[in-house]
Amino acid sequence: MSAHAAPRTPTAPARPPSGFPVGFYRYRNYILFAATSLFMALGCIGLLEGLHALGKGEAAWNGFLARMARPHNLVLSVVVLGFTLYFVIRFAWVGRKIGAGRIGPVPRPPLPMPLLGVAPIGGFVTVWLVLLAILGGLLL
Amino acid sequence: MELRKVKFEVLRFRPGQDVEPVFETYEVDCMEDWVVLDALNAIKDDIDPTLSHRWSCRMGVCGSCGMLVNGRPVLTCAAFVRNYSGTIRVEPLSNFPIVRDLVVELDSFVEKIRSVKPWIIRKLEKDVGEGEYRQSPEQLEEFKQFSMCINCALCYAACPVLANEPEFVGPAAIALAHRYNLDSRDEGNAERFPVLDSHDGVYACSFANECSQVCPKHVDPAMAIQQAKLTDFLEWARILPKRSFT
Repeated sequence: MSAHAAPRTPTAPARPPSGFPVGFYRYRNYILFAATSLFMALGCIGLLEGLHALGKGEAAWNGFLARMARPHNLVLSVVVLGFTLYFVIRFAWVGRKIGAGRIGPVPRPPLPMPLLGVAPIGGFVTVWLVLLAILGGLLL
Repeated sequence: MELRKVKFEVLRFRPGQDVEPVFETYEVDCMEDWVVLDALNAIKDDIDPTLSHRWSCRMGVCGSCGMLVNGRPVLTCAAFVRNYSGTIRVEPLSNFPIVRDLVVELDSFVEKIRSVKPWIIRKLEKDVGEGEYRQSPEQLEEFKQFSMCINCALCYAACPVLANEPEFVGPAAIALAHRYNLDSRDEGNAERFPVLDSHDGVYACSFANECSQVCPKHVDPAMAIQQAKLTDFLEWARILPKRSFT
């Protein structure tokens, strides 16, 4: 800054968006959408435990089923299912924007366009299933 | 024409006088066809000449008069007073420091826009004698909606990510970058890539979608950001050819 530069005007700090994070319904939906990750992670932990029990034999599997039949686990499962359904619905609503007729100034890829949306998600799910199968002792 | 008395709560911040922004209430006789900007001008002209606010074209083109009206980012020249009931609360755009009253500091916004190089970049300029760069209507259609941005910064005021991460490049800048990346005449995507792919680039967006909801020109920045993410992913996965850096 030169010696003759005007001093910087004092400013008031930026304010967060009005109604953020839970005072406005669209922000509430967004926060709820983000919160689904916690509940889906819980579901995944349960799934991992089940796969692990499956790999250890019938007794372990039956024990897992008995634990899952307890009332609090049933309630948790319903909550996880609810959040998962909410995630899927919102993702389907906002995710439709991801598909593009043409993506970037690059040659049109050889895959049919619908596959461009399915391929990454399908790949992600496949990797997860393989990983879970390995962890569950079904593979390797 | 019949006048209606409307109460306005306007956030005031006078540097050197106010420690922090405070609301002041004004009662304005509004005509039926007035927009909020008309009421603000009436306050400045007839009630309190010290009130500061930005405006220019009065027809939703220049993007200068963006403010929060009852908490939502809008162009005040397009927000009719008759569409609001009760007291109308007017505040400066959120996520920006306040210079004075309803005027915010847009330096960071302008710098972010500049960082994505929103202009046509050619590796080798054609000689003027070779004629213009031609484009078909189909090629235009691919990016046209993203070119409708008027840089009003409403999307920045609505973005919850920016509230937590002020360095996020933001919706308008990414939409503009995407607009030029989709332009058949442009060859500068590799130059924009480092900004879009940076820590504060497209992946900082967690898809709240609020930017697209508030855009007065119906641009869909959320779409641009997700498409840019997908392009990046497909290049990383080698489904699309990797861009070479210039």
